[in-house]
Amino acid sequence: MDIDISLDTPIEELVKSFPEAVRFLSSRGVRCIRCGEPLWCTLEELLDEDGIENPHDLIQELKEYIRKRGEPAEDSK
Amino acid sequence: MKELLKKLNIKEVNAGACSGQDAWYEDPEGQELVSYNPSTGEPIAKVIQATDKTYDQVIEQAVQAFKSWRMTPAPKRGQVIRDLGQALREYKEPLGELVTLEMGKIRAEGLGEVQEMIDICDFAVGLSRQLYGLTMHSERPAHRMFEQWHPLGAIGVISAFNFPVAVWSWNAAIAAACGDTTVWKPSSDTPLTAVAVQHICNIVMADHGLQGIFNLAIGRGAVVGERMINDERLPLISFTGSTQMGRRVSEAVARRFGRTILELGGNNAIIVAGDADLEMAVRTILFGAVGTAGQRCTSTRRVIMHKSIAKELTARIIKAYGQVKIGNPMEEGTLMGPLVTKAAVEDMMAALETAKKQGGEVICGGHRLEEIGGQFVEPTIVKMPSQTEIVHNETFAPILYLLEYEDIEEAIRLHNEVPQGLSSAIFTTNLLFAEKFLSHEGSDCGIANINIGTSGAEIGGAFGGEKETGGGRESGSDAWKGYMRRQTNTVNWSKELPLAQGIKFGD
Repeated sequence: MDIDISLDTPIEELVKSFPEAVRFLSSRGVRCIRCGEPLWCTLEELLDEDGIENPHDLIQELKEYIRKRGEPAEDSK
Repeated sequence: MKELLKKLNIKEVNAGACSGQDAWYEDPEGQELVSYNPSTGEPIAKVIQATDKTYDQVIEQAVQAFKSWRMTPAPKRGQVIRDLGQALREYKEPLGELVTLEMGKIRAEGLGEVQEMIDICDFAVGLSRQLYGLTMHSERPAHRMFEQWHPLGAIGVISAFNFPVAVWSWNAAIAAACGDTTVWKPSSDTPLTAVAVQHICNIVMADHGLQGIFNLAIGRGAVVGERMINDERLPLISFTGSTQMGRRVSEAVARRFGRTILELGGNNAIIVAGDADLEMAVRTILFGAVGTAGQRCTSTRRVIMHKSIAKELTARIIKAYGQVKIGNPMEEGTLMGPLVTKAAVEDMMAALETAKKQGGEVICGGHRLEEIGGQFVEPTIVKMPSQTEIVHNETFAPILYLLEYEDIEEAIRLHNEVPQGLSSAIFTTNLLFAEKFLSHEGSDCGIANINIGTSGAEIGGAFGGEKETGGGRESGSDAWKGYMRRQTNTVNWSKELPLAQGIKFGD
């Protein structure tokens, strides 16, 4: 599965293509969605604003998370 | 669905930039935006987003049209708005249903939203004969001093998905009465309702031989949104959205000394006093927290209840939640539809995880309902031990946090502790509590209600809030002043040249 996410990825595109990224990033203190709408910035800008020190590592972890999330969500009823 | 789209002139692929009936702008380089039905996940139709080229065409038309529109007498402008209101009456049902189809609120709320558009048009028609300025007594003899309100220019309106048409109309109808033109960037989640509204506006404009009064530029925030907030041709940006985005908008517009009207996040609470009518409180909390699937700016996010009634009230709210029919928002009897996007569902689940980590106990709901569709969730109640960090954040989903208090001072302290300040309410039969809540030391919100909830505002009042809600006011009362520029005038009709403050200069 090809997961095309980089520091330049606009958040608007990220949450549309990979909505599961919202939950992963939220667990790291990074919120992509506010008032139900994605922020207008790039992933790099957002990570920088939230003080993430190793953004490249975080993106790798995010990709891994998305790969695993191909399975049914654990919070389904 | 096809019949509905046909009634509103929505095609399979639609242009996303427009200034009038014969002015739909297309650029082969424009990217496609697909609008999905949140109930089914199926695509509804596509829009070609505005490019730099088509955006500029729209802005030029809006700026050009402003030059003649500002010189059209305001009551004549009111006639155009009256006809827009009439057209919206004719299209109320299909437009309301498209709102439901595209963003997922229940049909009754979709129709209610269009009614709100009609109401604000009626208000703006009256306003067109009431753009009053004051007259002041001059301190100098034979001088007349007064103030006038002049049109401002082409106004940028950036709206959100949750009220995809009403918020535009609050701005566009008032701005039009004030002699301004508007350029609308709707949410990328609800482009089709915007296209439908533009078609209706085009009919009305064409009937009056007009173009460029109501304009549309659909596109991503990072593209069209950024251009608008940095565009000196737009002296005012009215932005509805999150506090985080509002900060970005505010900074960009302030840098060029433009004006903003900001309607940002809310974190609205209802205080339920020990003497409250619990039956009324429960019905109100249900509508406030579950209506529009908790995706209103004014949704009830917190209930701050007196310890003496906490147990009973909690039980009653849980019982009421159990009776909420969740499903197809077009169906009669459904009270809650889906969340707008999959990302919104993820955001809700992330918030619940955090709430649990902070000591919260999910006492009702908390799950996705994938058997109905990928974007349906249960309305959820979380009992919190205290007002932790997650409660201070707005999550745009049907999550209701329950908190308890001992005395009214503590209730108001908890109420005002959050950074947002949009809407608030207290349920009480105690006159002293009610008055205290509305007093200078009471609610710090832009909207404060007694024995009615936090959501469901009427158009006649000014809508907006304080603190991180942004301080802007839209819709009724004197919110129109934000769309005009004030000019103070002094006319000397004497043959002398007296100076103010009695200053003698070279006499």
